[in-house]
Amino acid sequence: MNEEQKDIFFDLLTKKAIYGLDAAEQAQLDAMDPGNAELEFNSLEMAAAAISMMGAADDEPMPASLRSKIIADANAFVVEQNEQTVAWPPTTNDDDKGYVTDVEEKSSGSWLGWLGWASAAVACIALALNLWFTRVQPGPGPEIAKAPPVETPRTLSPAELRDEMLRAATDTIKATWAVGNVKELTQVVGDVVWSDQKQAGYMRLKGLPVNDATKEQYQLWIFDKNQDKATPIDGGVFNVSAEGEVVIPINAKIAAASPEMFAITVERPGGVVVSKRGKIAALAKVETPAKPTA
Amino acid sequence: MTEAILQRISDGDRNAIQDCLDKYGGLVWSIARKMLRNSDDAEDAVQEIFVDIWKNAGRFDESKASETTFIAMIARRRLIDRIRHSNRRISADSLDDVLLEPFTRADKAIQVSVEAGQAAEAMRSLRPEQQQVLRLSIVQGMSHQEISDATGMPLGTVKTHARRGLLHVRQNMGLGGSNVSMEAAI
Repeated sequence: MNEEQKDIFFDLLTKKAIYGLDAAEQAQLDAMDPGNAELEFNSLEMAAAAISMMGAADDEPMPASLRSKIIADANAFVVEQNEQTVAWPPTTNDDDKGYVTDVEEKSSGSWLGWLGWASAAVACIALALNLWFTRVQPGPGPEIAKAPPVETPRTLSPAELRDEMLRAATDTIKATWAVGNVKELTQVVGDVVWSDQKQAGYMRLKGLPVNDATKEQYQLWIFDKNQDKATPIDGGVFNVSAEGEVVIPINAKIAAASPEMFAITVERPGGVVVSKRGKIAALAKVETPAKPTA
Repeated sequence: MTEAILQRISDGDRNAIQDCLDKYGGLVWSIARKMLRNSDDAEDAVQEIFVDIWKNAGRFDESKASETTFIAMIARRRLIDRIRHSNRRISADSLDDVLLEPFTRADKAIQVSVEAGQAAEAMRSLRPEQQQVLRLSIVQGMSHQEISDATGMPLGTVKTHARRGLLHVRQNMGLGGSNVSMEAAI
């Protein structure tokens, strides 16, 4: 294979890893294959998958309705698999256990797998029967002792948690909110406190409008001393659901050490990986250590 | 060591399906949203991807790649297939989003998986044009022609950046490949 052919060979492999190939291109690749195309492709595809994950935001939840559909699909798949397994118990074929697979390929069920699902089904039936006998069936039944009411500890509000942190942490820093670049938002006041030790912080905000979370959400960015300014830490997406002062906990995605500035941007629902900084609702530069009474 | 979720799915552990969705649902959803951009398309694709994941769970081999990478590979195959069949075009508006990149979240790659962190490190060693081409093609799903149109780079240059960039990332991640004159291709 000369240099030009190598370039074409790797162009095709790269294209296959990024976009897939049509039949003609695949035929061209097959014709050129010196015997290592599959190995080359596997590792390039793995590199492409790793790059694709760089841009992924794993904190963006999938819609609940989609999750329900996927679970329904999974249940249907299990039923289908069980039916196939009962009818034709498969044999294990080790040769078929290659790493890279055609996603259209049929799954090979296993008796162990089937037994697992079957056990789960039996357990469900047993649970249902148990519930029926113990709770639904009329007439005398086993007396269920009344358990004493459990006292649930009161959940502290974000404002109380903020006060608690200010009392407990000795390294708390504080910054005061100033206006950003949204000309309608000139009344945003409040502060942000943060503790490196506790890796926790709270924003106190007043004047930030109530947002419609289906249209846009607020997102906090933390500019850390050790972090390139172009890549601030995502401090989490949040909503303002009431007028007046609100206290919002910070949800930093990685450890922050010595934040120097905080910024709140207005983004699409779920937040963004890359903010165009079109709407900066507020900015806060760290000035002084926070006092417990702040 | 905790048993891989995919192994548990293959073994018929029903809880593993919920665990799989909890752990990888957001990742797959995000990859699909980025590549397809249309939420309805992304929802359909993600449904198909998870069916593929259930079907292929038993084929996962942790000595070859992490579970996260395996799932990302299954997701990408399905998405590539959909894009090829839909003849999707990216709108002019969305190009602004992908070409302007201030405020890139530093933490994402590290959060998602070790391999994503390694890829991010490897990408930093590339020339800016190579980084841009790989980001637009792999993360955003833009075709070479679309990248050429959007950036003004000649089509051949886009292809060369993609090839050289991806080979470099593979090499820097220690993913190997064969010894077929890598230098020449790079």
